[in-house]
Amino acid sequence: MGVKDEGAAWSIFGYLLSGLIFWGGVGWALDQWLGTKYFLLGGLILGAGAAIYLVWLRFGRE
Amino acid sequence: MTGTLNLVGYGLSAIGPAIATGMIFAAYISGVARQPEARSVLQPIAFLGFALAEALALFGLVLAFVL
Amino acid sequence: MRSLHLLKMEGEGFVPPSTNDFNLPPVFGDNPYTTKPILLVFLSVIVISIFFIMASRKAAVVPSKLQFAGETIYSFVRNDVARDNIGHEFMRFVPYLFTLFTFILTNNIFGIVPLLQFPAMSHVSFPYVLAIFTFVVFHYVGIRKQGIGKYLKDIMFMPGVPKAAYILLTPLELATFFIVRPLTLSLRLFANMFAGHLLLLVFILGGDHLLQGVIGLKLISPFAFAFGIGLTFFEFMVQVLQAYIFTLLTALYIAGALADEH
Repeated sequence: MGVKDEGAAWSIFGYLLSGLIFWGGVGWALDQWLGTKYFLLGGLILGAGAAIYLVWLRFGRE
Repeated sequence: MTGTLNLVGYGLSAIGPAIATGMIFAAYISGVARQPEARSVLQPIAFLGFALAEALALFGLVLAFVL
Repeated sequence: MRSLHLLKMEGEGFVPPSTNDFNLPPVFGDNPYTTKPILLVFLSVIVISIFFIMASRKAAVVPSKLQFAGETIYSFVRNDVARDNIGHEFMRFVPYLFTLFTFILTNNIFGIVPLLQFPAMSHVSFPYVLAIFTFVVFHYVGIRKQGIGKYLKDIMFMPGVPKAAYILLTPLELATFFIVRPLTLSLRLFANMFAGHLLLLVFILGGDHLLQGVIGLKLISPFAFAFGIGLTFFEFMVQVLQAYIFTLLTALYIAGALADEH
């Protein structure tokens, strides 16, 4: 496990965090606006999915 | 003593991803140590596994704050 | 039951360490600019300057012990952090990375030096400022090298993705590069120093409180002190590691901004 791997692990962490915060935040805002409860969960799952897709694009393909 | 139980729940839920991350990188390190040329094959698998485990830990973190 | 009751009685007077232990009063009079962390930061600058001036003043081919120590730290930052990660343009960034590493390292180690015993980085504003420096440096370098349009385009649109996926991915890339990176950089250093100092406080103050209790508690207190001493060595490792990680990630961000396609 070299230095590059360590940097990659932290940038994966960053992508996941920003995915959850951004799309979860959008879901939370929709919930506040419409008075519902489900957009937050949907947004979190969407954000995690998008972030994992991004991680696959960046680190998973050859 | 005051506080919120959410943080206790997050602490408990972080145990799983922590063990998972440790096992993923342990397997990756020993794989690369045994066969250094397999690194390019192992690296994407290790990072995707790490991303999946870490996503669960961050789910716990976010839900501890919003719930 | 009786002993439990006694234990509870003993626990009444104990004030567990909290965030209030980090808000230290001014040292000189009422001047709010002379609190302990600020004085420690100035002290660290003086210590670093004196150390490296002494180490480089009588530079010789056969190095003295002091010169050897200085050269070891310098060559570690120059070769292992800067050259291996940034590539052929690394020499421009060595002064910044070296300053960052020695500054953070000295301030962290102040956390376990007797009498000083306070890591300035456990106040979140110091890591924030360092992360803002890094943020400005790596974006400036990238924009200067590639032009602002191409730099932003490289960040926002990664090649080989269907058009519709950009709606999902572009906000994430922007948030990662402009918000999450500097935030995690500073919070990682802050949280490690804060938690480490709090951990040491819990064991040392707890051991001290146990020592003043009944005889049964007095017998337990050496274990608390022993744990505190063991954790001090563990803290030393964490402090060195965090200084290294901060410098390393700065170097990797600069390298990413310099590369044509990241």
